[in-house]
Amino acid sequence: MALFEVENLTYYYPDTKAPSLRCVNLAIEEGEFLLIAGGSGSGKSSLARALTGLIPNFYGGKIGGKVSYQNRDIRSWSRQDLAREIGMVFQDPEKQLVMTGVEAEVAFGLENLGLPQDEMFRRVAEVMSFLNLTALKAEFTSTLSGGQKQKLALGSVLAMQPHTLILDEPTSQLAPAAAEEFFHLIKRMNEEMNLTIVLVEQRLDRCFHLADRVVVMANGTIVQDGPPGESAVWLIANDLPFVPPVAALFARVGAPEIPLTVKEGRRLLKKILCCGNTPGTGQEQLKENLIDNDSEPVIEVKNLWFSYPNGREALRDINLLVAPGEFLAVLGENAAGKTTLLKQLVGLLKPNRGKVMIMGRDTRRAATHELAHYTGYLPQNPNDFLFQDTVEEELRFTLANLNLPDKGRVEQLLGRLGLIQHRHANPRDLSSGERQRVALAAVMVATPQLLVLDEPTRCIDYGMKATLGNWLQEIAAGGTAVVMVTHDVDFAAEYACRVVMLFDGRIAFDGPKHAALGSSMFYSPQIGRIFRGMDNNVLTLREALNRIPLNLN
Amino acid sequence: MPQNFFYQEKGLFLQSLHPAASLTLIAAFFLLALCFSHPLYLLGLLLVILFSLWAADGLAAWESYLKAVLWLGLLIMLINALVNHSGSTILWRSPALPLLGQLSVSMEAISYGAAMGVRLLDVVSAFCLFNLIVHPDRFFSLFSTFARKSSLVVSLATRLFPLLLATLGQIREAQQLRGVDFSRGSLRERTVKNAALFNILLLSALEDSLQMAEAMQARAFGSGPRSRYRRDLFRPRDGICLAGVGFSLVAAAYNLARDLGSYTYFPQLGSLWGGNFSMIALAAVLLGLSLPALLSWGCNHWPYLKWKI
Repeated sequence: MALFEVENLTYYYPDTKAPSLRCVNLAIEEGEFLLIAGGSGSGKSSLARALTGLIPNFYGGKIGGKVSYQNRDIRSWSRQDLAREIGMVFQDPEKQLVMTGVEAEVAFGLENLGLPQDEMFRRVAEVMSFLNLTALKAEFTSTLSGGQKQKLALGSVLAMQPHTLILDEPTSQLAPAAAEEFFHLIKRMNEEMNLTIVLVEQRLDRCFHLADRVVVMANGTIVQDGPPGESAVWLIANDLPFVPPVAALFARVGAPEIPLTVKEGRRLLKKILCCGNTPGTGQEQLKENLIDNDSEPVIEVKNLWFSYPNGREALRDINLLVAPGEFLAVLGENAAGKTTLLKQLVGLLKPNRGKVMIMGRDTRRAATHELAHYTGYLPQNPNDFLFQDTVEEELRFTLANLNLPDKGRVEQLLGRLGLIQHRHANPRDLSSGERQRVALAAVMVATPQLLVLDEPTRCIDYGMKATLGNWLQEIAAGGTAVVMVTHDVDFAAEYACRVVMLFDGRIAFDGPKHAALGSSMFYSPQIGRIFRGMDNNVLTLREALNRIPLNLN
Repeated sequence: MPQNFFYQEKGLFLQSLHPAASLTLIAAFFLLALCFSHPLYLLGLLLVILFSLWAADGLAAWESYLKAVLWLGLLIMLINALVNHSGSTILWRSPALPLLGQLSVSMEAISYGAAMGVRLLDVVSAFCLFNLIVHPDRFFSLFSTFARKSSLVVSLATRLFPLLLATLGQIREAQQLRGVDFSRGSLRERTVKNAALFNILLLSALEDSLQMAEAMQARAFGSGPRSRYRRDLFRPRDGICLAGVGFSLVAAAYNLARDLGSYTYFPQLGSLWGGNFSMIALAAVLLGLSLPALLSWGCNHWPYLKWKI
């Protein structure tokens, strides 16, 4: 008997006409590691919430069909019993932490279960020790890094000792290293504690191989259900992007087996690329990617030093030139100074020493709103932008502030970004991907010479990422310099032309992406890691596909 | 820096006290600052609070409070000097002014204003000490026994307030880079621009609150009776501090009953030196209140004392 049984589940959120889940049938065995993949709005999160009972208990709406847990209808379980059995970790750690301190946060769920003090203390101690949180027990949750916060959210759920753990895109806010650590922790719990895991995820390259089974969703239904290898082949055959690059590569070249990890991929690649292939050095691409541009640089940073008022030196001796039409990705660990540099580039922060020139204007002598004539800034959270009643008004607001005429720009941009049908809609009623497009349109309507983006691929699916990447390349091709801070190495490898790596406030590397990422051990996309040492010029699927058939022939 | 004003775990003796002990100490400071009117008593209380702030490594944070309070204190003195006409030792008389008539400034009114300024500084300094030695979760946990929902709401607000401030800063930056100049325009225009920031903040906060509520429900909040997680141990140091504060309160009550902590400002200033007994009584009050800071000093110098209490 399966642990979960979902039969003909159909669900409508309140006040919606289209169902979010349509006739879903699914069985999950005890101790299974199930990965749910799919695009935005495919119903992944709704299914996860139905498995925890939050749908319909929390959301309301109309529901048909049945979800059973341990052979009992989930609606017949009391909330307290259900919380003891099924734990859920959400996307944004910031929005699931309740208490001010770490220890109190872990104990919060236990207090809700009404457990006695001794039992609570034992569980808090166990969980904190298992997750290495003991050293942080007296810290405020607000001072933790993103990775620590998500680990704490996991710990506070684990303390309730659930038998099933449901995770809804738990690593979407984390840096690659923290995400990897988080997934390995989950796998360890699955293997060592027989915890049933249901993982909803968009970052598939790091977790696809960990799952026992992969379920793919589209339009509220399950369109594929099978082991990871089989699902990867199905996804490729159906031209769906929800597959790790390594699997996509070998499935596309018709390899007899589909590897899911870099290790398996390299082994197979070595077989294919046997004998006589001289590894590349990146120099060929370096020449290709350098922009020969004699025009005035959009950004000129000279000997920039910056410290925050608390004395922390965030940027040290930064020198940087960005030419029109360049697409630059800034990579680096958390607290390396990426966001500080980005704020310097748009004039939100002023140098302590050295100077930053934007279109020939010294940022120390120009107010931020004046620099807005040349710069566009897209923050991590598009919600920081949106407050007008309609999408169209949102764009006109930027034009009015900068005293720019419309001249059909609004119409043109809405069309280009696929927002025409939403022009009279309230931006807050749109999906997260659409909101991001509105924010981008509200920036681009001023036709800035410099576009600066902070983590633009956070929380968006593979399809949306590709669309965004193509837009940004188009914008760069139009002569706008694009500077993007990101943790998404794959996105940088695919779309940027130049990479700046920051370490401890200094530039550790500045050059073409192939030279930066091809030989990097840690800041390398999955495809790059497969080809590392064999051909450092290969970073993207397209480049790899060009490389393999040549050798097969 | 704003973080200087809030609790930061530094492993200090005063931070290690049971919240009941530290709250009793702070409450005693507040209470006595309001009950005493004698300038020497108010100044003595200020000295003990400063001593405690020193023990809590909080003098730098206190300086920031002091800057704000000094202006307010001076304002109190000035207003009191101008509007209080009960004093008999006139230092200055203004010429006759339209509507206001002739204003006079007396020694008694200035003294009373100065004493009220010190009282204000006592209260604000005690508040500063509270922020530095009482962990918010431990404070709310103490009250969650009898005010569960209210203490949780306040705890949530405490956690979310810095987050909202940070979000407000981000929204402001995003708007500046859309060409909004918050310093330009008439008062009405500037108000509209700033109101838009709060509009965005409110919309985002409402959306976020739904996610927070969902996460709380997933962790069984509101599913039945809650228990309370207690992590604070009651140690000998807590008993000693409570005994010291208790002794001070009893001594203070005795002083007040014998009219020793109060002072006559009007119509003529009384004698500051209320006699030897009054000073001994004051010393007794201050000694009890200084006990936590003295123990902190002792523990820093004699590890043996630290181990034993």
